[in-house]
Amino acid sequence: MLWETIRLALLSVWRNALRSFLTLLGIVIGVAAVIAMITIGSGTTEKVRGDISKLGSNLLVVQAARPDRSGSTSFTPKQLDGRDVEALSKGLTTAKAVAPAAQKTVRVVYGAQNISAQVTGTENDYFTARDWNVSEGRIFSESEARGGTNVCLIGATVRGQFFGTGDPLGQSIRVSRSSCRVIGVLESKGTSGFGQAQDNVVMMPLSGFQRRIAGNRDIGAIYIAAAEGIATSDVQTEIETILRETRRIAPGADDNFDIRDMTQIADAMASATTTMTGMLGAVAGVSLLVGGIGIMNIMLVSVTERTREIGIRLAIGAHERHILVQFLVEATVLSLLGGLIGIALGLSLAGLATSALSIPFAPSLSIILLAVGFSALIGMVFGFFPALRGARLDPIDALRHE
Amino acid sequence: MNAIVRRQPLITFDDVWKTYGKGEAQVHALAGINLTIGQGEFVAIMGPSGSGKSTAMNIVGCLDTPTSGRYGFLDVDAGRLDRSSRATLRNRYIGFVFQGYNLLPRTTAVENVELPLIYRGVASRERRELAMNALADVGLKGRETHTPAELSGGQQQRVAIARAIVTRPTLLVADEPTGNLDTARSHEIMDLLTRLNAELGLTIVMVTHEQDIADYASRTLRFVDGRVASDTMGLETA
Repeated sequence: MLWETIRLALLSVWRNALRSFLTLLGIVIGVAAVIAMITIGSGTTEKVRGDISKLGSNLLVVQAARPDRSGSTSFTPKQLDGRDVEALSKGLTTAKAVAPAAQKTVRVVYGAQNISAQVTGTENDYFTARDWNVSEGRIFSESEARGGTNVCLIGATVRGQFFGTGDPLGQSIRVSRSSCRVIGVLESKGTSGFGQAQDNVVMMPLSGFQRRIAGNRDIGAIYIAAAEGIATSDVQTEIETILRETRRIAPGADDNFDIRDMTQIADAMASATTTMTGMLGAVAGVSLLVGGIGIMNIMLVSVTERTREIGIRLAIGAHERHILVQFLVEATVLSLLGGLIGIALGLSLAGLATSALSIPFAPSLSIILLAVGFSALIGMVFGFFPALRGARLDPIDALRHE
Repeated sequence: MNAIVRRQPLITFDDVWKTYGKGEAQVHALAGINLTIGQGEFVAIMGPSGSGKSTAMNIVGCLDTPTSGRYGFLDVDAGRLDRSSRATLRNRYIGFVFQGYNLLPRTTAVENVELPLIYRGVASRERRELAMNALADVGLKGRETHTPAELSGGQQQRVAIARAIVTRPTLLVADEPTGNLDTARSHEIMDLLTRLNAELGLTIVMVTHEQDIADYASRTLRFVDGRVASDTMGLETA
């Protein structure tokens, strides 16, 4: 009986193809908008997470606290230095890598070409902390790191600019006023979640950088990676304890350093995009509601148009519920059909958009099922009133209807 | 007809009134009808417009209920039944034929005939078989897959009759079944109804305006102003 009703409903949808299509349009657009929005949104979230994890997983960055714009401070400003690094590398039990780094953007020259690149003085732990592998050559040897030998690793962009497909290893490049020998090339990391090009870099041992490029012994930041299975918040607590001691901060005084937890930042950014996605999805949901009203409208027309048919059915023994179910099923089939077309359309739109924006295409099965369920629900809810109206008709009046 | 056959009563009207409106504007469509129709009778109802014959038909067909009085159908006080029970009663025991055929458009003949069986919950294979047989009974073999638009008026009325008899009802209610047909087609339809009455013992109650159509019936009721003005038996020619 139900199957029969569904078949009849499909038949009725088919017989009024144009009208059915126009009715569907509202639902199609609504569902397509919801699916596209949410698919693109979750792709963006995934991309943001991926980008931030490129900075290094479980990474914490320690920097000296800076006075705010008004210049007033509640702490005694103090740069990070070798003592802080040493205390942290010796004292931290929860970290797997501790790397000091100092950075400066300078001219880098090779042959006739010169570019502006970010030069970092650091130690081998930096590559561990940031999950950064060497694609050609090697990292610093122990003696190079300690002695600040003029050797360097270059990023993928620098390598491309200077050497193209040629072999950069053993070549000398000029960094600021001194030269260094290329011993390795770093894997490409692409653009960071903050829109920074990460491959336009040159890495050299910290002491050499301080002597030849920076001209001071300041350390810009200390990169610390949490050991496997340790929460970054635990590492953060330990860092705080150690640094307060080494930097002789009196109990109750404010820290004169900042610890940034990259995992937290990643989570915050991801949750911001998720919220955005939800909001856009909700807006798109309103259009679904409008689509539902369209269904109701057309079902009312359909009931009026088929008053005589209802009369015939009632006369030959249909019960109210038969008529009710007939029109409900018709409305549901209609909106479900709209839902299915909407899903196809939404997914293709999202597919196009994600490939254009080069973000991952992440369709969610649960959202699709939800959309199907919701469109069926809309059919039932908005089909109910017209269906009831049809079912309640008096057979005598209905038969007389022209 | 030589002897009056004692028949089981199928339909009884017991002081049936049907009143529309209130107070001054009150109209009595039926003003105290008393009537018995036996099983297997072929009754024609005649009368001018507004005489109450349509109202009586609707009550006979369990589409409507009296304002007061008792309408008995098959020993049931059908006038007191609710909508849903009357729907069941119609589906089980009553077939309808209308002046305008009232077939579902864009639906094949056999599907139209199957319709009452759907509401009776008959399985699709059996339904198809019964509908095919009913169409053969009314002489429409080979037209099963035609839609109403592809059939002549006489053929459409035959489909409607097939739809009415496919459930093997006790009563056939026909509301001016030949009203839209030419003379030749009208007599064909009446021959069919007469045959169904004789062969199946189907009780038929038919409203008509035309005397020569009413002559097919074995009994004629004339309605005037909501009352039965005359009740004549044995005018049939067959």
